[in-house]
Amino acid sequence: MEGESIYEVDSGDGLGADIISTVEFNHTGELLATGDKGGRVVIFQREPESKNEPYSQGEYNVYSTFQSHEPEFDYLKSLEIEEKINKIKWLPQQNAAHSLLSTNDKTIKLWKITERDKRPEGYNLKDEEGKLKDLSTVTSLQVPVLKPMDLMVEVTPRRIFANGHTYHVNSISVNSDCETYMSADDLRINLWHLAITDRSFNIVDIKPANMEDLTEVITASEFHPHHCNLFVYSSSKGSLRLCDMRASALCDKHSKLYEEPEDPSNRSFFSEIISSVSDVKFSHSGRYMLTRDYLTVKVWDLNMETKPVETYQVHDYLRSKLCSLYENDCIFDKFECAWNGSDSVIMTGAYNNFFRMFDRNTKRDVTLEASRESSKPRAILKPRRVCVGGKRRKDDISVDSLDFTKKILHTAWHPTENIIAIAATNNLYIFQDKVNSEMH
Amino acid sequence: MLKWCSEPCARYMLGKGGKRKFDEHEDGLEGKVVSPTDGPSKVSYTLQRQTIFNISLMKLYNHRPLTEPSLQKTVLINNMLRRIQEELKQEGSLRPVFVTASQPADPLGDSFREAQPAFSHLAAQPLLPADLVSAAPLEACLTPASLLEDDAFCTSQTVQHDGPTKLPPPALQPVKDSFSSALDEIEELCPAPTSAEAVAVAAETAADDSKDHPSESSVQRPEGVPESRTAEPKLMDPLPGNFEITTSTGFLTDLTLDDILFADIDTSMYDFDPCTSATGAASKMAPVSADELLKTLAPYSSQPVTPNQPFKMDLTELDHIMEVLVGS
Repeated sequence: MEGESIYEVDSGDGLGADIISTVEFNHTGELLATGDKGGRVVIFQREPESKNEPYSQGEYNVYSTFQSHEPEFDYLKSLEIEEKINKIKWLPQQNAAHSLLSTNDKTIKLWKITERDKRPEGYNLKDEEGKLKDLSTVTSLQVPVLKPMDLMVEVTPRRIFANGHTYHVNSISVNSDCETYMSADDLRINLWHLAITDRSFNIVDIKPANMEDLTEVITASEFHPHHCNLFVYSSSKGSLRLCDMRASALCDKHSKLYEEPEDPSNRSFFSEIISSVSDVKFSHSGRYMLTRDYLTVKVWDLNMETKPVETYQVHDYLRSKLCSLYENDCIFDKFECAWNGSDSVIMTGAYNNFFRMFDRNTKRDVTLEASRESSKPRAILKPRRVCVGGKRRKDDISVDSLDFTKKILHTAWHPTENIIAIAATNNLYIFQDKVNSEMH
Repeated sequence: MLKWCSEPCARYMLGKGGKRKFDEHEDGLEGKVVSPTDGPSKVSYTLQRQTIFNISLMKLYNHRPLTEPSLQKTVLINNMLRRIQEELKQEGSLRPVFVTASQPADPLGDSFREAQPAFSHLAAQPLLPADLVSAAPLEACLTPASLLEDDAFCTSQTVQHDGPTKLPPPALQPVKDSFSSALDEIEELCPAPTSAEAVAVAAETAADDSKDHPSESSVQRPEGVPESRTAEPKLMDPLPGNFEITTSTGFLTDLTLDDILFADIDTSMYDFDPCTSATGAASKMAPVSADELLKTLAPYSSQPVTPNQPFKMDLTELDHIMEVLVGS
């Protein structure tokens, strides 16, 4: 992988760069959206390939920046509602405009992004600055013409889907029907129509009658990419539930339950916590699901509920450190996972600004680092290794020198090409694979 | 680094100091019976459990965020606490009784040693606190382990018992002496009903102490049992309102964390000798973390600690441990 570009997401208010909280490519990969802790969304656009420099494939440059959410105050509970953007999902493009959904803990917003590169000139009643003309000076009529202007990107909020959630929204997912989408919080999942903001349908509700009996929450959910009636949601106990909306209005009863029995030899106090699924993603084909829990990524075949078909260890060397990681809260970090366009490689982040890729076909894996030193333009990323005691090669990092404050929680893969976006705290790294190199 | 080292020590020392003797015997014998293995299997299970219990409580009640805390995190921590609480409850209700006045310490030790081989294959099993026995029902010390088969926290090693059945707690003997006064002190700090944890602590320390003071008649159990029984219903109250109300309504309503951790308890009976440790094979030479601390504190010297040695975990001793851990 080649390092290509690094962007520091600056809040612009003098407080310095803000922590990136979500990264998402649109359906063509032309646009890349990031959300941050300050409620801002920054959209990058890929420059078209230049004929002058055939080797310089399009780079991503800032296309638009806007403030999506503001902090709010919940007077009833005397608590702040964070403006941090939890998720961004692009809508499939249906006309010249681009649309995306962005959400914080409580409110989902639909934004429309349009370009303006022409403006009308030659009005009869208004002058160039827009002031009304003195009618006595108008001696002839003209037809206004469109003249080119500097590109202006305008972002407008088209819908605000508020008051749908008592608990914190952790996922949104646009349905393949392009008309509806779902939003999931810790205990409930709602179905919305993109055009209707004052109503939503509750399709999953796992809130117990007595809150003191609560032992499990929803952690992530997603619609199936092709079947508009199917969706999956994951839980803090490590199970996945596939639901069919045709079966009933309230999908509390799952159609399929995917759960792997616990490995007794790995039993510890922390077994439940590390089994909590932090992210679930359908493959592009729709045949598989990818889940991330604290130490592994797993590929599940939709047809097999008893266990995943593939399990990859992300950082098993942390298994003996779980108590410390529980104490410093790192064990609750929610890592995301991603498929590449052909579903042959999966990627996820780790600590020390490392991220991992697993090739499902060759069964090889690689650990790479997102850092400024290794990411000068055109620099090739060097594979990293974490050594667990025993023989230590040069350049290896020992487990005890890992920096647990540098975590890569959010990653995204271009829908068709080998371009990845990695969010490392407040820096966004974009890497490209120019030559189709093998994993090593 | 000291930060990692000192807090877990401070947390469980208060409770588990008395248990050290039991562990020392256990570990000393483990060395003979079982070949030492690396890793967490050597760590006192209850020690680790106590640490995690305290950490969990701290997490729930010690921070007041401006925004609503994550429900997922709260649920996971609550589940952890519930599980530990459940275990403590099971152990509490099935704990056999202790030494009678006529039991001298040594024969007790011997009989205890005889029991060891049965325990050897249970090395990884949770060690029940204060599984002291009178000479007669030796099986009593095996008994609790058999319960561990049902315990959700059993490791994969299955318990191979032939014999031991659950014994009802033998008759309780009247409590005397400095133990009960110490117990009273603890109870004062923890207004009734106290938590099973504090009770377990008291019961264990009292029980262990009886080994040192064979002249004193038995134990504390009478104090312990009713307390734990009354405490149970309260503890079994599911964690109230954590999810809806952000102010901390107590998991242990009458007992705040401060009572457990920082109470001014007479520590003279908490024999602890942190400096006699050869760090042993189990320790890693690495920056100290909570996990490593747990590992290194378990395989302490097998020398019996002299009774009534004042318990002090002051900085010089901490430094000494650090040297030993990090040095060589």
